[in-house]
Amino acid sequence: MVMLGGATGTPPSKPKRLLVRIVLIIYYPSMKHILYISRAVRPLTDEDLQQLLDQSRRDNARHGITGILFYSHGNIAQLFEGEDGIADNLFKRISVDGRHTHVIKHIDKPITARSFNEWSMAFHPLEPSGFTALQGFVLPHHMPPTPTSLAIADALLVELVRLAVFGPDPSTPYQQAFPTLPRS
Amino acid sequence: MRQLSAGVATLEGAELRYGFVNTQLRALVGEQAEGQRVIDQPGRLPASLLAILPQVYANGVPYVAKACVCTPQLGEQAAQCFDFALDPYHDEQGNLSGLLLLAVDVSEQEHARQQSHELVTKTRQLDARLRVLTETAPLITYTMDAQGHYTYASPQWYRFTGQNPVADLAAAWPLLIHPDDRLRVLYEAETARRQGTGWNYEYRLRRFDGEYRWMLSRSLPEVHLPDAPAYWHGALTEIHLQRELSEARRRGEAEVRFLADSIPELIWTATAEGLIDYYNQYTTEYSGLTKDELGPTGWVGLLYPEEQAEAARGWVRSIASGAPFEGEYHLRRHDGTYRWHVIRAQRLADGSGLRWFGTCTDVENQYRLRQVLQTQYDELARAHHDLDTFVYAASHDLRQPSLNLRGLFEELRRTATFTDPEQGLLLSMFDQALGQLDTTLLDLATTVRTQRQQQEPTESIDVELLVEEVLLGLHAKIVQSQARVELQLCPVPVLVYSRANLRSVLHNLLSNALKFAHPERPPHVVVHSYLTPDGQPVLQVQDNGLGMALDNPGSPQFRLFARQHAHIDGTGVGLYLVQRIVSSQGGRIEVASTVGQGTTFTIYWTQASPSA
Repeated sequence: MVMLGGATGTPPSKPKRLLVRIVLIIYYPSMKHILYISRAVRPLTDEDLQQLLDQSRRDNARHGITGILFYSHGNIAQLFEGEDGIADNLFKRISVDGRHTHVIKHIDKPITARSFNEWSMAFHPLEPSGFTALQGFVLPHHMPPTPTSLAIADALLVELVRLAVFGPDPSTPYQQAFPTLPRS
Repeated sequence: MRQLSAGVATLEGAELRYGFVNTQLRALVGEQAEGQRVIDQPGRLPASLLAILPQVYANGVPYVAKACVCTPQLGEQAAQCFDFALDPYHDEQGNLSGLLLLAVDVSEQEHARQQSHELVTKTRQLDARLRVLTETAPLITYTMDAQGHYTYASPQWYRFTGQNPVADLAAAWPLLIHPDDRLRVLYEAETARRQGTGWNYEYRLRRFDGEYRWMLSRSLPEVHLPDAPAYWHGALTEIHLQRELSEARRRGEAEVRFLADSIPELIWTATAEGLIDYYNQYTTEYSGLTKDELGPTGWVGLLYPEEQAEAARGWVRSIASGAPFEGEYHLRRHDGTYRWHVIRAQRLADGSGLRWFGTCTDVENQYRLRQVLQTQYDELARAHHDLDTFVYAASHDLRQPSLNLRGLFEELRRTATFTDPEQGLLLSMFDQALGQLDTTLLDLATTVRTQRQQQEPTESIDVELLVEEVLLGLHAKIVQSQARVELQLCPVPVLVYSRANLRSVLHNLLSNALKFAHPERPPHVVVHSYLTPDGQPVLQVQDNGLGMALDNPGSPQFRLFARQHAHIDGTGVGLYLVQRIVSSQGGRIEVASTVGQGTTFTIYWTQASPSA
């Protein structure tokens, strides 16, 4: 359960880390975000999902990857953001992961600031009771509105992808989907 | 003898008593066999062998019994098999004195033999199944040897080509390939054979009726390493219809693309999920962005920032429900100017599932024309109304001096004396002229008044019902802006009003409340009707919109074309009309507003009167 969500690899060694930090100070690292959708090869069980959540949160936190993953009935969609190289590596690993197919990348473009402050997952567990308390887990229709720092074209894309994965929510359709505040 | 791997025993005399028994045979007949008769101590020797022992002894001829099954030893599962050999032996005098029994354990060989027999049966079954399958499947199977000769073709080939079953396959086949494809096919097949790989190509093969049909030929070599492949096995599938269909589709698609690219209109298609996968040429020309820059949802970024959220909501709503998308938006051109467009999209089910087809039509010119026309119409209507009012006021105002004139004239006639002999005539003429003036003024006023009354007939109207009717008309706008409208209507006495005028007042106030909404929050409109303590009916419309600067207490918002919010469309006549209508019926309108928080309009329908 490493590939789908998590960036793995050994952390840089100490002198290297220092160098990285110096470079960080001189050149602010350019970031990007990537959105893809895919199909799971077989349906993921609650255990699979929980394992994926735990592992990915750990790895992503270590590598500064933030974003959100949607899962429902074999449909997967993920938007993640991070430094260029790390994000590219992560996507490369994701695209060859054998647990899903039909990986289609819809967005891959530079961003100036993050839109998410952590990495989380949204799905419908069969047994929701055990999940609601989990860190980084959200029920699909109780998700916070898309962050305002996301350009509206990207917010629309996230919204459409969420719709494609989960279908319309009959109780509160399209409520709060987009903030009315104009964004540049 | 004891080390022999075979079991050996001597059966002595006509009674066939065990003489010498080696270790291997002891396992078969038991430890205490020596000296016993075979019949008394048969051990595990098969009954069939026991039965023929006396005969063999009597005949004195060696006998061999192959693969006899002995009952299994205690604690063992599989029955053992033995080859038994019986050899009569003679004493020094040449008399028959006994039988030599040789038992060779052939269990393994027997097992192997049985297995190979089963294998052969199974192979035969598989072969039969394969044959049935290959001969019934709707495709032609074939085998080609290393020299490129067809050595086998399934019966379908003969049926398809109409060739005689005894025809020379190797010679006939190449001749049935379409002349345009023949060289290519032969070349590709030969290349594949030389390299020892399979092939996959399409060509036209002549059918029994002489028509050439597109076939897909796929083949793989039969490899037995380290030898080079000697045979290629493959299948030939008819793909004529698919190929024609896909060709027609390719052609059709190319034509549609060409058409879409040559129209000076923004055209795009989207997947069932609402992600745009095609923009026509003009879209990139208009926006100045490449298809990649636009991306699957980039269109929304071309709209006015204020319109983006609403358009995005509308699009998500359409995708979720399948309802057509339609809206008027400002679309940014490559030079940065925004032009009005009507964006329409509809969902269509084509061969490959659901898709969305959309257009953006430039309506800037029409929009401008419409605005100019509206302004001119409003100006004309106002001028007409002003003229009416002027005529009415003038005729009304002139009647008073004319009456004064008549009074003065009467006074003059009564007190003054005239010497002129023609005075009587002059006086009557003057009288006549005065009368004429008065009548004309009266007629004029009456004409204008009746005309107006005809235009605006009054009736008794239930305000509550009319408010609901107007809100129904604004339903689309309310849904679009996600507005919340709250009604607090207490029964107000029925108003005697012109229906058209009253509707115009309500419509103007309610649509303004929606139109001048604050961009940071959805509109919340409260419609409140009540009676003042002195029984005066009042209607209040309160919103949480942009608000107005009321720096001039002389109600500047009621001036013609006075516009508070230049970025929102409007002509600036709405409130002016409202005020005129209300005041013409004897009512008045009050306004309270805070910029950035909202506005409240209060209409007092009638003059305050203690009797009401």
